[in-house]
Amino acid sequence: MKKVIISVLGHDRPGILAATTQVLFEQECNLENVSQTILQSEFAGVFIASMPESLTVEELNNQLEKVLGSLNLYVFVKPIRVDVPTYDAPGSEPFVITTKGPDRKGLVAGVSSVIARYGANVTNLSAVFKGGDDPNQNIMIYEVDIPWRIDQNSFQKDLREKAAELGLNISIQHRKIFETINRI
Amino acid sequence: MLTEREIISTLEMLENEHLDVRTVTLGISLIDCASHNPETLKNNIYRRITQTAKKLVQTCDEIGEKFGIPVVNKRIAISPVAIIAAAFSPSELVRIAHTMNRAAADVGVDFIGGFTALVEKGIARGDRSLIESIPHALAETDRVCASVNVASTRAGINMDAVYLMGKMIKEAASLSADRDGIACAKLCVFANIPQDVPFMAGAYLGIGEPDAVINVGVSGPGVVKKAIDRALEADSGLDLGQISEIIKTTAYKVTKVGELIGREVAESLNIQFGVVDLSLAPTPNVGDSVGEIFQSLGLKSIGVPGTTAALALINDAVKKGGAFASSKVGGLSGAFIPVSEDLNISESAAAGYLSLEKLEAITSVCSVGLDMVAIPGDTSAETIAAIIADEMAIGVINRKTTATRLIPVPGKKAGDSAYFGGLLGQSVILPVNNGLGDNRFIRMGGLIPAPIHSLNN
Repeated sequence: MKKVIISVLGHDRPGILAATTQVLFEQECNLENVSQTILQSEFAGVFIASMPESLTVEELNNQLEKVLGSLNLYVFVKPIRVDVPTYDAPGSEPFVITTKGPDRKGLVAGVSSVIARYGANVTNLSAVFKGGDDPNQNIMIYEVDIPWRIDQNSFQKDLREKAAELGLNISIQHRKIFETINRI
Repeated sequence: MLTEREIISTLEMLENEHLDVRTVTLGISLIDCASHNPETLKNNIYRRITQTAKKLVQTCDEIGEKFGIPVVNKRIAISPVAIIAAAFSPSELVRIAHTMNRAAADVGVDFIGGFTALVEKGIARGDRSLIESIPHALAETDRVCASVNVASTRAGINMDAVYLMGKMIKEAASLSADRDGIACAKLCVFANIPQDVPFMAGAYLGIGEPDAVINVGVSGPGVVKKAIDRALEADSGLDLGQISEIIKTTAYKVTKVGELIGREVAESLNIQFGVVDLSLAPTPNVGDSVGEIFQSLGLKSIGVPGTTAALALINDAVKKGGAFASSKVGGLSGAFIPVSEDLNISESAAAGYLSLEKLEAITSVCSVGLDMVAIPGDTSAETIAAIIADEMAIGVINRKTTATRLIPVPGKKAGDSAYFGGLLGQSVILPVNNGLGDNRFIRMGGLIPAPIHSLNN
C-alpha cells in the first residue's frame, strides 16, 4: 500500500477542501487523516491518503495542481516511506507550557530550543502574536510530552531562565489540570 | 487537544483569582498508640505522627508545582486524644499536647488537630481530663488545635459540657491574656462534628476512619467572587437563578482541582484518599473573602438585611456544584464566616453592620457557626456557655454541624480591637447582650433531649 502526505496552502476561500478531496476521490485515493487550520487569512491543510498501486505520486501531483492551481493554491505531495521507523516516544508525561509577554522576534525559537534540547516533544503549538507590549495579546501555548528520564528540575529551571531572558511570563503545568477543570 | 479558551481561562483562575487548594490534611489514627505509661504513649504519638507525615509537606509542594496549583496549608488531624489518653490526668494531657506540638513542628505543619473530646451524651473520665487540660494545652503550645463535641441531633445537648466549656474558654483566654486570648482561637465547640474535617481548628480523625487518610479543603472564596463579578460585568441583568448557576459551575471546577491534588498526594504517599471539603474558607487578604461575595451580590455589607438569603443561595450552589464534581465530598462543606479571619467580615463588624445576633442567624444556613468572634473579656462563663448553647441548638434541631470559636479578649471591651495575627487575623470586639448577667438556665445543667424527627417546622 502506498501512502502520500499532501499539503495545500493558500488564501482562504470556500471550496478548497471540496476541490482537494474531489481530486483524491476521482484518483481512487482513500483519506486517512486530515487536519486543516486558518491562520489569519491563510488556509493550510494536511492530508494523508493511501493510493492505488497504479497511480504515481507525480500523476497525483499533476491532477491536484491542475485543479488547485486554478484556485491560486499551492500544493505539495510527498510519499510516506513505510520502511523508516517512526519516532518512538520515550515514557513521558503531558505538560502545557504557556507564555505571555511583549512581542519580539525569536520567542518561539528561544522557547522551543530549550524544549528540544531536553528531548521533549511538542505535540501541539498554538501561538498568537498580535504585536505590541500587551502580554495578553501575545501568547504561546505548547503541549509537550516531557520524558520521565530527564531532570525535571533543571528542565524547568532552564525554561524559566529562557523565558525571563525573553521577557515572558511562563507557566508549566501538567495537562491533567486543564482537563480536570474544563471537562465533565 | 486542549482548546485555547480552556487553557487561558484556567490560567486566569490561577493568576488573578487565587485558585489554590486551601489545605491538605493528613488524618492519622493513634488508637493503637495507647499505653498505660505516659512516656510510652508520648513516644508512640511522636513516632507515629512524624513517620506518617514525614513527606507530607514536600509531597504537597511537589504536586502543587507539577500542576501549578499551590497547596496553601498542610495539616495533621489525629484520633481524639481524650480516647487514646483516657487514663491520664489533665497535667499529663498538657504534656501530650506539647508532644503533638513538637511533632507538628518537626514535620513542618502549622496546625495539628485532634486534641478532642466527644461528650454529647456524657463526659467520661478521660474526656473531663482533656477538657480541663485545654486551657493550659492551648496557651502553652502554638500549633495544637482542640475541639469538643457537646451536642448532636441524635443525643441532644449536653448542657453540663456546655457550661464546662464556657469556663474553659474563660480560663484559656486568661492564660493567653498577653496575646488577646489567642488560645481560644484554637478551640472549637461543636454540635454534630464531622469525622473528616480538613479545616482547623475543628479537624480530628474520627474513630470510624482508616489508619491514615488524606482530606482536602478546596480553594477559597476569591474564585467565586471573581466569577460573579465577571459574569455581572458581561451582563448586568443576571438574576439570582443565573448567579446560582455561575457559583455552581465555579464550585465544580474548584472541587475537581481539590480532588485531583488530593488524590495525587494520597497516591504519592501511598495513603487512602478521603474527602473533599467544599467549604469556602477565607483569609485576612483582600480578594480572598466570603464577605466580599455579599457585596458582589449587591448587598451593602455582610450583616445587612438580605444577608441570610444571600448566604443560603451561595452555600447551596457551592454544595450542588461540588457534589456533582466529586463523589467524595465530606467535612463541613459550607461557607465559613470567621469574623477575624475574613478582612471584609471583620470590617463589616467594625462598621456596625454585623452583630452577634445576625451572625447567629446566618449560621442557620451555612457552616460553621460563630467563628473567630471576639467578645468582651469580662463576658461571664455562663453567658459564653449560653451563646454556645444557642448555637448548638441551631445545629441539633437543623441536623447540621454548628460550632463556636469565641474569644473573650482579656481586658478589652466592646468596640476595642483584638489582634491574633497571621491567618487568625484581627477583629473589633462585638458587644454581648447580658454579658455579665446571671444565667440560671445554664446552671441547671443536664441534657437537652434529642429532637423529634417528625413535625419538621
